Amino acid sequence: MAPNKKMLLKGDINRIYDEKIRNRKRAQSGPKEKFFIRPTRQRKMKNAKWFAVGMGIDLPFCIILLILLTIGTIMMFSASYAFAYYTQGDSYYFLTRQLIFIGVGLVGMAVMSFFNYNKFHSIAPLVLGIAYVCLLIVLVLPAGDGGVKRWIPLGVFNIQPSEIAKFAVILFFAHWASKYYDKMQLPKFSVLPGLVVFGSIAMLLFLEPHYSGIVIIGMLTVLMLYIGGMKTRYLAIGGIALVGIVLVLAVTGGLSYAMSRMDGWGQALEYTTEDMWQTTWQTRNSLYAIGSGGLWGLGLGQSRQKYLYLPEPQNDFIFAIVVEELGLIGAIIILLIFALLVWRGITLSLRSKDKFGKLLGIGLTSQIGIQVVLNILVITDWLPNTGISLPFFSYGGSSLIMLLAQMGIVLSISRTANIERT
Amino acid sequence: MEEKKKQKLFDKKRADRGPNQRLRQRTAVLIILILVVGFGATLLRLSFLTMVQGSELQEKAVGQQLSDTVLTAKRGSIYDAKGTTLAESASVWQVVLAPINFDDDKQREAAARGLSEILGLDYENVLEKTQQKNYYTVVKRKIEVEQRDKVIELMKTLTKEYDCGSVIQLLDDYKRYYPKDTLASAVIGFTGADEQGLEGVEYKYDKYLSGTPGRIITAKNARGTNMPFQYEQNVESENGNNIYLTIDETIQSICEKYVAQAVIDNNVMNRAGCICMDVNTAAILAMVTSDGYNLNDPYQLPSSEVDRIKQLPKEEQDKEESKALAAMWRNKCVADTYMPGSVFKMCTASMALEEGKIKDNSSFTCGGYMRVEDYDIGCSVTSGHGTQTFLESFCHSCNPAFIQIGQLVGIDKFRDYYTAFGFSEKSGIDLPGEADDSFWPEGQMGMVDLAVASFGQNFSITPLSMITACAAVSNGGYVLQPYVVSKITDADGNVVKTMERKVKRQVISTETSERLCEMLAAYPEVNGAAGGAVPGYKVGGKTGTSEKIGIEKNVSSFGKDYIASFCGIAPTDDPQIALLVFLDTPSGGGYYGSQIAAPLFTEIMSEVLPYLEISTDYKEEDLAYLNVSAGDYTNISSEEAVTKVSNDGFIPEIVGSGTTVVSQMPTVSSKMAQGGTIVLYTDNTTQPEKVTVPDFKNAVAYEVNGIAAMNGLNVSYNGAVSASGVAVAQSVKEGTQVNKGTVIAVTFKANAEGGSSD
Repeated sequence: MAPNKKMLLKGDINRIYDEKIRNRKRAQSGPKEKFFIRPTRQRKMKNAKWFAVGMGIDLPFCIILLILLTIGTIMMFSASYAFAYYTQGDSYYFLTRQLIFIGVGLVGMAVMSFFNYNKFHSIAPLVLGIAYVCLLIVLVLPAGDGGVKRWIPLGVFNIQPSEIAKFAVILFFAHWASKYYDKMQLPKFSVLPGLVVFGSIAMLLFLEPHYSGIVIIGMLTVLMLYIGGMKTRYLAIGGIALVGIVLVLAVTGGLSYAMSRMDGWGQALEYTTEDMWQTTWQTRNSLYAIGSGGLWGLGLGQSRQKYLYLPEPQNDFIFAIVVEELGLIGAIIILLIFALLVWRGITLSLRSKDKFGKLLGIGLTSQIGIQVVLNILVITDWLPNTGISLPFFSYGGSSLIMLLAQMGIVLSISRTANIERT
Repeated sequence: MEEKKKQKLFDKKRADRGPNQRLRQRTAVLIILILVVGFGATLLRLSFLTMVQGSELQEKAVGQQLSDTVLTAKRGSIYDAKGTTLAESASVWQVVLAPINFDDDKQREAAARGLSEILGLDYENVLEKTQQKNYYTVVKRKIEVEQRDKVIELMKTLTKEYDCGSVIQLLDDYKRYYPKDTLASAVIGFTGADEQGLEGVEYKYDKYLSGTPGRIITAKNARGTNMPFQYEQNVESENGNNIYLTIDETIQSICEKYVAQAVIDNNVMNRAGCICMDVNTAAILAMVTSDGYNLNDPYQLPSSEVDRIKQLPKEEQDKEESKALAAMWRNKCVADTYMPGSVFKMCTASMALEEGKIKDNSSFTCGGYMRVEDYDIGCSVTSGHGTQTFLESFCHSCNPAFIQIGQLVGIDKFRDYYTAFGFSEKSGIDLPGEADDSFWPEGQMGMVDLAVASFGQNFSITPLSMITACAAVSNGGYVLQPYVVSKITDADGNVVKTMERKVKRQVISTETSERLCEMLAAYPEVNGAAGGAVPGYKVGGKTGTSEKIGIEKNVSSFGKDYIASFCGIAPTDDPQIALLVFLDTPSGGGYYGSQIAAPLFTEIMSEVLPYLEISTDYKEEDLAYLNVSAGDYTNISSEEAVTKVSNDGFIPEIVGSGTTVVSQMPTVSSKMAQGGTIVLYTDNTTQPEKVTVPDFKNAVAYEVNGIAAMNGLNVSYNGAVSASGVAVAQSVKEGTQVNKGTVIAVTFKANAEGGSSD
């Protein structure tokens, strides 16, 4: 086919050459990591499906999240209404602030959902470092209410370093486990960093003190190492070690604060002394509220326990008011929505194209589930009364903004997960 | 090479899948842990709390959330038979503090200053109350409308100037008022601080009077103030029922007036009493225990008692005060017993007649005493009455004759009748504290006992039992249940309950009853004033003088303690009312019933009978009583004058502070009716008491007499004074103010139609 070859004109050769050069250049530059994934027309066409419409985020997860946030805000308003009226002179005091936090949080979430989460891979140690710094800063600041140091006041709102620490731990171990995935079975790569990171953070939280933070971070550490591939036997050993630490602390008397909070744990209804009655006031009134709710509840806004009987009903004990107003049925529906959120978050994370995304997504969604369970067990007096807030329900700026930003990351993961799958 | 490639690819895939598979497995474990175990646990716990423990928890929650405010019901009023108010409740207020709502000491001081000034309380005391930490501290109860208005002003000021929240509350309350003060105090009784009846009708009918308190159930927050927009449940209070007494204020006042006077005149040491009863229904028209207390101030003892108690050692004072109060409140007619004495002879006579033991020719001999077994039982006339008929024995009140009559009846029959007359049971009157009788137990009554019992000695009954028996004797033999409340109406006036004549049994036949009425009528006829005769009226009765045996203190001037009594009926041809008067331990002019009780009976009856419009029946000789001349009672000591006036058949009334009578009203030789009032002035400075002249027109002579007596006036009778004459003119126009005791000349004209005399 010589005549054919001959037919290659110079222009053709040039064209082929250019193409080769271009290909080489493309190969050299490699797949460029972009800070922001720009949705292209093509992708949009490809993802025109039920579960990945729009910008490519996982719509069911996003909808579930917004439903929870809506219910949570309504209930926060209902629960805080009377308390705000009596303490602040303005029934809308907490609602207006919470709505501002939600606005900021949603913006944060949107930003995060566009942010290429893979960028966190490299900055994970940095985030952990920031968490450490915050944990240290809070210790040198003067103590707040009840002599505990949990907040860094920033004027507009307060930052709770433990919230950052939770995220930092999830992020760091997602980073670590995906980086050393093959070696995670070795204790050097799993147990050791786990102990170092958790131990140091626990120490700092202990100084605040913030025991529920320790518990949650401990659980998150174990969770991340477990799904990260740590051998199960170390989990058992770690558990035993944890018990040992607690025992040591108990012996040294360092748990006195926690013990005082635990005083009357499970005895809210069987108080015998005036002190006990005072100590268990919050838990007892939480139980009264839950019991008053019955199957169908007293009706939205009809809670009576929120009229100063249950202190700070907009915070950790908000779900007691929820049960009082919406009953067991309402509680079950809300818990189902939470479960759906956790389920959807974990499954979409599993579809992520990379290990880091999987681990990060599972970690962030699991945190929600863990907090929901712990919160409800606290308000029902199955766990001692420590400060664990209910995600999307409890009032509070830093935790809500942090939470929504984390959900933004999950949504960001869902974008890539959907690309990968389709 | 292809295969190698394939193998490599497979290995790579497996290597890839290996960790992925493990991640999936572990994620599944994680999901199970969180969603199944974790969420499951929460659901389990929530279900348990809401469904199993729910009602228990809710109950506790409700217990702390709801507050219950009682709405006081207005207590019903008490009226007399004619509708005059004897007791009523008026709105007052209660001042209550919620000191926890104070913000600072400035507010506390302002509130304490204001309240202490308005309510007349100690400032320090109120300030202390404002410093408490609670929601409900009573500052003062039962404040009246003027004080309430001031408190409202204070509340406004506090809010305006001190920015106080709701620290003062005014709660509705009621206070009991007794417009007639002491009238019928022993019957009406009084209420306590919470308007609960403590004595008398107030106590007995508390259930009807008190009404049903309402309540407001409100949800409260943990600070105790109302939850905004929370539920409130109101149960309206239901006001108490009103009670109409059978007591007639007019009759009651007449009785009280004369009993009080008799107590003074005869130096009665242990109070006196009086019961007026409608014999046909046993409704009590008046019931008096002397020295009634002021129902508006029931804890105030008379000054003599207060002084006596002050003399006692400190430790005994409280006890003695309670004793004195209990005695003061005691309804002597119902709660005390006495030996009826000769009054009881009407019962003994009834028994003998009913049993047919009395023949037309029955006669009883009295030798001044009678020997029964080993005892000589004396008669009042030590020389003896000789041989007498049955009626004579009764009119002589001869003890030996009645011992014989009692013996004719026999112990068993006597006991049967005693029971049948209702002495052994409680009368069942609707008043608290009715006393039991004391009689010989079955089989322990001997002949001596029968002998003394036949003239009313050595057993005790209540005065009420005696008059109930007297009613039975005169009304045809029916033993009735006495009562003081005629009807109960609700707050709107609907009748809730009506009390009616309640016959317990018939104890004697109508014929016997008629015989007895004649005998009772004969007694005043024979004995005159000493027999309780009331000029112009057919009255009957029997005196009684009983020794206080067993309970005597022998404090009277006679060495022995007596109870003088008189029990009678009117009119005897158609008995309408019975009246029993008794004076316990007189220590003055005399102790015989005929001496002191019979005149009291006459005095009361001569006013009550005209009031009740009982038909007159007076004989021409009675008319003599109508025109008597007043004597000269001046220039003698007041004591002497009193005695002289009484002996002349008038009622003395001393006015002034001197010791010698300087003038009198009416003046010497004024023609006036016997029984009229003569006012004796012991100085010239005291202004005479003014009274209003009533209208005498169309009244018959004895009505005129009664009306005059009621008004403190005297009457001289002109014109055709006769049984049926009615007054046609009077010397002083009705409505004129004149000095008490003034003689009004009333002109009578024979009434052709017969007038009110039927």
